[in-house]
Formats: sequence, structure tokens, C-alpha cells
Amino acid sequence: MSHDPTGPVGEAVLEIRGLCKSYGKVHAVKNLSLSIPQGAIHGFLGPNGAGKTTTIRSIMNIVVPDGGEILFGGHPLDRQRLDRIGYLPEERGLYRKMTCLDQLVFLAELKSVPRSEARHKAEAWLERVGLSDWAGRKIDALSKGMQQKVQLASVFQFDPELVILDEPFSGLDPLNVEVLRDIIREENRRGCTIIFSTHMLPEAEKLCDSICLIEGGEVILEGDLAKVKRDFPLDSVKAAFVDGRDMPSGLPGVLRTERNEGAWSLILSEGADHQKLLDGLREEGALSLFSAHRPSLDEIFISAVRKRRGAAFATQEVAS
Amino acid sequence: MKLWAIIRREYKERVKSKGFVISTVLIPLLMSMTIIIPMLMGDRVEERRTVAVLDSEGRWFKDLKDIVAEQSGDGLELMAVELNGRSLEQGIQEVQDLVTQGTVNGGIVFDPDFMENGKLRFYVKSVAAGLASDSLRPAVNAVLRKARYAEAGISEDLTEYLLSYTDWERLTVSEEGDATARDERGVFGMAMTLIMMLYMMVILYGQQTLVGVIEEKTSRVVEVLLSSVPSSQMMLGKILGIGAAGLTQVAIWVLSLYLASTRGISIAGMTFDASVLSPFILVSFLLFFILGFMMYSALFAGVGALCNTIQEAQPFSTPIMMFIIIPMLMLTVVMQDPGGTLATVMSLIPMFTPVLMFIRVILETPPMWQVVLSWVLLLVAIVVFSRTAGKLFRVGILMHGAAPSWGTLLKVMRQSD
Repeated sequence: MSHDPTGPVGEAVLEIRGLCKSYGKVHAVKNLSLSIPQGAIHGFLGPNGAGKTTTIRSIMNIVVPDGGEILFGGHPLDRQRLDRIGYLPEERGLYRKMTCLDQLVFLAELKSVPRSEARHKAEAWLERVGLSDWAGRKIDALSKGMQQKVQLASVFQFDPELVILDEPFSGLDPLNVEVLRDIIREENRRGCTIIFSTHMLPEAEKLCDSICLIEGGEVILEGDLAKVKRDFPLDSVKAAFVDGRDMPSGLPGVLRTERNEGAWSLILSEGADHQKLLDGLREEGALSLFSAHRPSLDEIFISAVRKRRGAAFATQEVAS
Repeated sequence: MKLWAIIRREYKERVKSKGFVISTVLIPLLMSMTIIIPMLMGDRVEERRTVAVLDSEGRWFKDLKDIVAEQSGDGLELMAVELNGRSLEQGIQEVQDLVTQGTVNGGIVFDPDFMENGKLRFYVKSVAAGLASDSLRPAVNAVLRKARYAEAGISEDLTEYLLSYTDWERLTVSEEGDATARDERGVFGMAMTLIMMLYMMVILYGQQTLVGVIEEKTSRVVEVLLSSVPSSQMMLGKILGIGAAGLTQVAIWVLSLYLASTRGISIAGMTFDASVLSPFILVSFLLFFILGFMMYSALFAGVGALCNTIQEAQPFSTPIMMFIIIPMLMLTVVMQDPGGTLATVMSLIPMFTPVLMFIRVILETPPMWQVVLSWVLLLVAIVVFSRTAGKLFRVGILMHGAAPSWGTLLKVMRQSD
């Protein structure tokens, strides 16, 4: 993890209080409150339609929320403060008929960077993403990967305090994912707080200091990534016998067993005793593997969403 | 400044495009073709207008020829038909033949008693050719008078004095009380040219604004744009940028026409003669043109903001075209009574101002406060329309296909940027 835990994390750079937004009868965001610590790399996670993009668009003043408050550095987020936030929308793209340099200068000017300064910064960023030779070429002439690099440069070029990336990894090849990850880490080290939404949880796991998980327009899980993982119950064990024999049935606290790459995954019931299980297995034969499995973000994500949907479903049933 | 950056971007993109270069060259070329071709064809028919004259008494032809030469220069030529011993009927037959064969455009046969009864016959092949009679009639009248004065014993000097024409000087009085001489026909011709220019530019560039706004919706940059500037500012930048590109094109045309005229080259018979227009008319035209153009562009931008495709926009742009056509239809009404209540009210409605107030300025110089008020109202209209367009755009972009209800639209209009 790039972030130094003793660093300036703590003060909330962005705070959302009671954000609401509905489109007609659909409540996209319901009374959502969030706090993003200064200097963090924050993962904004949730299934499709959870309200991530609506929340981000509300922050960026693209949609006008029905209610709620958005604070940036403790002050209401106005147009002037928006100029200190870089934004990469989910639907990406650039003016096709503009040259790379003109494009970057224009986008920087939209963030109130003076023209002469914008030019220097744009040139420096083109150099940084390896596109100096393409500065005078039209966007049309660039490959998709190159276009994405130009776009990334546009988000970071004006030294923003906060950068919001909506699904930044979608559509990138592994090489460009690496480029993006490096830029995010480097800019974070420079002091830039970064929020990104994603479906690609392994990426989030690699990068994030903190996460929040939203579903149905509400936050269902929030906090420091390490803490979230620690708090989540260990719900499976990986095990294998030396002679490779099958897992017996009827082990204490095991709900079901699954064969998994030459070993076995034992899915445990809540509150199952690991020691008891280990003892039971030893009685069966010599073990070559026994490890408590830390849940991946993927598993936490799926389980948390399922749990909430189940609860919502149950409440609905009770209500009717 | 962000607005400035948007204006510059729109302007550069348009002016640098191939379409701009091509249309800058092609449109004047096509327009001059429509003027040159009829002129080339007209050369043969019109320039040599000949009228055959049968003067059996032999006393009218010479005087008539002198007067016609003096009045219409080379435009009209008279050809004597001699009887040479033939009967008058044979002479008339010859005149008729000449006319039917098309050798001459018309034929005059003086009555043998012309001195007393003043009768003559004018033969023409078609109604159109008869136009020549308008220019001949005063000349023939003068010939007869001159002969009758001579018969009455009036001296030649006195005859000349008696026959001289009246000399008219037309003056236009303004409210300020000063009278100015104006070349009415020249002014009116220029005015119509200028109005046509406005009309053309609105059609050409209004459509461009419409297309530009619709394109912006599909452009992926729009979210970044909206997160950086208020949508009304974005729209204003777009309208001003595209407008500036349009004005650049007009400036190129006018300047090249002007340069050509000062070097004595006439492009398709058109010369740019601004001298017939007073500085006030020129300045007010510039203002009406620029403001009117921007106002119509803002209207088109609003339509673009509501629609997702150009096809969808077609029916909505028709009403805007009506705003341009209505004042054209009202021109005659306004011209008859430029200071009337109807003309005053209509010319103050921003949608009609560019044409109607401008024509009033040319015709009668309305009170200054009305002219200034019309400019102010135009400015207000531009700001209101582009703000509205900006807000509509913001709704349209996030609606994802579903048409916004009137309720939503009203709610959006009340929102701040």
C-alpha cells in the first residue's frame, strides 16, 4: 500500500451529509453520508445501479441533488472549490478534432489555470505519459490507449487536491492499468486525495487505503480497508490431506465443502470453532494444508450485498 | 477566463475546418454564378434595343433621334424606315415585319396629321418589349411640343426653357429636425442586400449551432465541461464561438468585395458602395446583424438542447425559421407606415428587431430611444435564450432518451447554475 499510515490521513477532505437524489420515482441515492479522509486512496464500491455515478455527479455539480450537503475542506463545495477537483467521468472521451496539446490546455483552462501555465503543465504531462511526439497530432490519430493516457493527464495536470475517477480501470489493457496505478500512487504521494469507483475489486484491494460499499443508494460498509477485512468473519478454511483423499462429510461446523485447485475449501457456519475442526481433520489423516482463509474484497462485497438484499427482502415480506 | 476558452475552442475548431474554407470560396462563387449567367444571356437581348420609326412627313425623326440620344444614351437606337415612293400601308407593313422578325424591338408610326392630333402607333412583339415605350413617350412628347412652340413663333431659347424638366431633390426628415439627402434607391438596395445577408447567415450558422449543440451531447467531454462551467456559460461560449466564425466568413466576403471595388473590379456586377449609407445606418446594421445573429443562434441552441438527433430537431427549427420569415412578410406593412404603432411594437420584439427595426432606421430614423431599446432587448434576449438553452441542455443530457415533462422543465428553469 502506497499510503503511509502516519501521514496526513484523518481530516476529512470531502464530506457528504444526507445526500438524496431521485429520478422520477427511482431513488438513486438515499440519505447518503460519507467522509473521505485527506490523503487517502478511497475505493467507492458497489454493484451496478448502486448510486455511485449519481453520487459522483452530485459532487461534481453535474446533477443537482434533491437534498443534502457536500463539504470540501470543511466548506460548502462551490464552483471555485470545484476547480481543485479533477474528474474522470465514466463515459470518457476527448474532442476528436483537437490536438493533444490544445486539448490539455483547454481542459486546464476550464479549471482556471492561466493559459501560459496550462501549456507548460500540459507539455510536462505529455512527456510523463510518453506522448511528447504526439503533442501536435489530433486525438483522432491516436490509438485508444494513447487517448486514455491523454485523458488521464487532463485529470491530474492541474495539481488537484482531490481526484475522482469513475470506473477508471474499465476498458484498459493490463499495461495501461499498470500506468494508471502508478500515476494514482505517485499523485497520492504528492498529497492528492483520490476517490475511484470500480467493479474491479482486486484493483481496489491493491490500491485502497479505505473503502465504502454502497448498495441501493445507501452506504452499507465503510472504513479503513484493513479494518473492514479484519472485522469480516473468517468464513472458510483451506485444507488438503497428504494422500490427496476426499474430505469426509459431517465435520464440525462445516456447511459444505468445495474442491478448489487440488485442495478443499471448507465453508463454515457462523461462529464455527477452527480448533475443533483441525482436531477433527487430524483424526482423519495427515494434513498437507490447513489455513484460515482471509476473505477477499470480492467475497466481502458479495456477502455484504447479499446480506443487505436478503434483509431488505425480509423487511418487505414482513411489511406486506 | 473559462468562457473565453470555450469561445476560442469553438471558433478555432470551426475556422480551421475544411468546410469553412470550402464554403468561404464556394458560396460567393455560386452566388456570382446566379448573377453572371443571366447577365451573359441578357447581354444579347437587352443591350441593343432598336426601335424602327416610320415618319411619312419626314419632320420628326431627326429631332426624336437627338432627344433620345440625349436622354438614354446608347441604350436605345432609332432606325428610320423610308417610304421611298411606297404607300403608307406598305411602310407600315415593313415596320410590322421588322417587329415580328425580331430585327427591332418596337416600331413607331407617326400619323400623317401628328402635328395636329398627336397620334402615333407603337408596334411591339410582346408585352415585355413594350417597356421601351416608357422611355420613348417623354421624348416623343418633347418633339411634338417643340414643333408646336416653333409654329406659335416662340424663340428657340424660350422653347428650351419651356421644355426643361423639373429637378427633384429628395430629403428625409428625422425627429431631430435635420433634413438629409439620400440616394433612396441605393440605400434601399443596400438594405435589402444586408437583410438577405442576415437571413442567409442565420440559416447557415443557426443550423451549425443546432448541430454543434446536438454533437456536444454525444461528445464525451460534456461531463467534464459541465463539471467545470455553468451550462449557460458553456452554451453562451458555444453560441459566441460559432457566431464569431460566421462573422469571420462574412467579413472575408465583404472585405474582398470592398478591395475588389476599390481596385475597379466589379464582381458579378456587384460593387460594395458603402458611401450610400450614412455612418449611423452602417453602425446600426452591424449591431442588428451581430445581435440578431446571436439571438437566432441562441434559439437554435435551445432546440438543439432539447433534441437528441438532427432529424428530431427538424420540426422544432421550423418555428424559428418563422421568426425570420414573419418580419420579411411584414416589410411592406412597416414600409408603408414606419412610425405607426404596429411597426413600432413589432420592431421592438427581439425576434423581429433585426429586420424590422433596421428597415425603420433606413426609412425614417425612428426616435433614438427606440433604437437603443431594441438593442438592449436583443441583448437581454440573447442572455435569456442562451441561459435557457444551457439549462435545457443539462436536463437533456441526463435524461437518457426520455423526454422531460413540463414540470421537470419548470423545475430546472428555477434551479441555479
